Amino acid sequence: MLENYFPILMFILVGLAIGVLPVLMGWLLAPSRPDSEKLSPYECGFEAFEDARMKFDVRYYLIAIIFILFDLEIAFLFPWATVFKDIVASEPMRFFGFIEVAIFLTIILVGDAYAWAKGALDWE
Amino acid sequence: MDFKTTVFFFLSAILIFAGLRVITARNPVHAVLHLILAFFTSAGLWLLLQAEFLAMVLVMVYIGAVMVLFLFVVMMLDINLDQLRQGFWKYLPLGAVIGILIAIEMGMVLGSRYFQVLDSEVPGVAANASNTRELGALLSTDYVYPFELAAVVLLVAIVAAVALTFRGPKKTRYTDPAAQIRVKAADRVRVVKMPVEKQD
Amino acid sequence: MFNDFVAPSLYPAAPEIFLLFMACVILLVDLGVKSPRRTLTFVLTQLTLLGCAAITLLTSNTEVVYTFSGMFVDDMMADLLKLLVYGAVMLALFYSREYIQDRQAIPKGEYFVLALLATLGMLVMISANHFLTLYLGLEMMSLSLYAMVALNRESAISTEAAMKYFILGALASGLLLYGMSMIYGATGSLEITEVGERLYTYSVDKSVLVFGIVFLVAGLAFKLGVVPFHMWVPDVYHGAPTSVTLFIAAAPKLAAFAIVMRLLVSGLITQAADWQGMLIVLSVLSMGIGNLVAIAQTNIKRMLAYSAISHMGFMLLGIVTGVVGGDARFALNAYSSAMFYVVTYVLTTLAGFGLIMMLTRAGFESDELDDFKGLNKRSPWFAAMMMFVMLSMAGIPFFVGFFAKFSVLQAVVAAGYYWLAVAAVLFSLVGAFYYLRVVKLMYFDEPKIQEPIEGPLFIKVLVSANGLAVAALGLFPQFLMSLCAYALMRSLT
Repeated sequence: MLENYFPILMFILVGLAIGVLPVLMGWLLAPSRPDSEKLSPYECGFEAFEDARMKFDVRYYLIAIIFILFDLEIAFLFPWATVFKDIVASEPMRFFGFIEVAIFLTIILVGDAYAWAKGALDWE
Repeated sequence: MDFKTTVFFFLSAILIFAGLRVITARNPVHAVLHLILAFFTSAGLWLLLQAEFLAMVLVMVYIGAVMVLFLFVVMMLDINLDQLRQGFWKYLPLGAVIGILIAIEMGMVLGSRYFQVLDSEVPGVAANASNTRELGALLSTDYVYPFELAAVVLLVAIVAAVALTFRGPKKTRYTDPAAQIRVKAADRVRVVKMPVEKQD
Repeated sequence: MFNDFVAPSLYPAAPEIFLLFMACVILLVDLGVKSPRRTLTFVLTQLTLLGCAAITLLTSNTEVVYTFSGMFVDDMMADLLKLLVYGAVMLALFYSREYIQDRQAIPKGEYFVLALLATLGMLVMISANHFLTLYLGLEMMSLSLYAMVALNRESAISTEAAMKYFILGALASGLLLYGMSMIYGATGSLEITEVGERLYTYSVDKSVLVFGIVFLVAGLAFKLGVVPFHMWVPDVYHGAPTSVTLFIAAAPKLAAFAIVMRLLVSGLITQAADWQGMLIVLSVLSMGIGNLVAIAQTNIKRMLAYSAISHMGFMLLGIVTGVVGGDARFALNAYSSAMFYVVTYVLTTLAGFGLIMMLTRAGFESDELDDFKGLNKRSPWFAAMMMFVMLSMAGIPFFVGFFAKFSVLQAVVAAGYYWLAVAAVLFSLVGAFYYLRVVKLMYFDEPKIQEPIEGPLFIKVLVSANGLAVAALGLFPQFLMSLCAYALMRSLT
């Protein structure tokens, strides 16, 4: 089974090389003569006013939570989707296999509709 | 050492490095990014154990969603790094003792009879066998009840998240271009008729 | 691939399906309800519970029915406990109506929906015959309860309580899961009755199994709130809004009893010698620490929390004495005494917290012991009701708490644990002190507050009926006792 994943390993290695090599080469080959002016942050000629980091709005949090929930939902649907052809092909399972996932999705959709109608997804 | 073992050691080395960086990085955002790397490499290890679905879920759910949430939280809290470091040396002796004790316990447990690696070979799996399909078959037949219950638990989570964090629509002022275009002169200017007043 | 598939029968799970459907409907209907009183949401919630009770009664039969590939069990014990859960939740929601009305920060619609989803979790737990469904039911209930504790967002103490509850609850769930995985490792099955059969038929790896049982019992002890896994109970009882405290103190205890029965008695009865020893330690510690620490409390919610710890310890005595040295003659007697104990405790605690909530107003919690001073002068009737509750919890004859304690002690003596019976009686005597102190405060001290007790007539009648039931069941305990015994006889084979 693992041999099927060999291309993916190769892909990751090549991707890693393409990402890492230029940085590494730049680091090794480029001339580097830093002084304090070069290293200071540039802000339109002014001294930097404040830290670049700033607090995120709490509303991101709600969006992220809801995103996790839908992500989990997909994780549940994925195995079902892989056997979907077999479900459709077998007589006793055809109806049941559809209904069970319809119920699953409806339950999640109720939550989605609730969050939407409540205005929790509005950004303004 | 065959190819699989090489990959295993390669991934394990990255995993241990990333795990160490999670607890030693000064910047919490760097710690979260290293945690992502740790998750990714452990997904690779799971793949080596032929748990392809678990590996996929780890990448999709943990890296895709949970770590996004982690990043938001870290950025939202705006953690003060210096405060976090306070009292490190004060608590080090106690922490070290507990850490060493746990390490000894782990060694004893892993060295005991019940946790030895079995001699038998892992049963070979055909090239086109897919445990995601097996999971799908079980999930839609025998395990349909827990499957639906999981949906209800997710529903509870949505309701709880909205009820606890949502504080009503924000009353911000913003421009609505459609309303700006639709407006007529009569909406803006009110012509008031009044008799001319004599100046005294 | 699926050609020998047979669709599971949905009939035994009809109450759960109806409850889920209605919870979804109410969640959506509530979006359109604009009135701050949420009368429509409230009425629909109560009607849903009533409908569930009707369905449970109609589908109930004396046989044990399995469905969903053996993951769901419907027996008499499940039916009886479910009916009691509906009753406890309905009463809790009636009592909490005015309370949440007075507190602006609590979102009203979500309160009822979360209560219904927590109820659904309890039903799933009660009917669980599989580690996985048991765990999912537990999580469904716990998640809803964590959210309900935190619903009063303006209160820092509620948020802190919710945080503690959540972290310790998650830890407990982890312990429980770890125990389940160990037992799965030892027996190769996740189905509880199947685990029981395999343990009976095959010899399994004893050390892995005992390892699993230790974690399982620790997880259950967390959920029951018995010493030394009780740390969350006082903080949660104290910090949660009183209406939520009432909710947590009542129906979930019934569900917790059900999972103890399912896991330890249906699944691991062959290992009774292993878990009984652990339960004895938990039970004696709970009765001791619960009763002793309760004396030092000045807040009645905290006091009742420690009292809950001691009561759960007492209830465990009934579970401990079921099987003695492989002799299961007294099993039915012991388990039904434990069940009777839980049921009567839930009834009494409902009345107790219902009365506390009658004394609250907007901005005034009335949860200090001093707030009960001179209650007799303000309202002799409700002072009498509170006295009934306190006397019953103390186990004074002839209130229902006395018979509950008596039947458990009978089981303990029949099993031959004389020292355990003596310890239980001694600790109950210690407990009587702080219950009677409340009675003393109500009758012999001067009131700090003079206002009469206000509230809708219906709620007053309901609380009174609840208080009178505590007294009346003490005079006629036989019916409920034999009901518990009958349900268990039909369920345990």
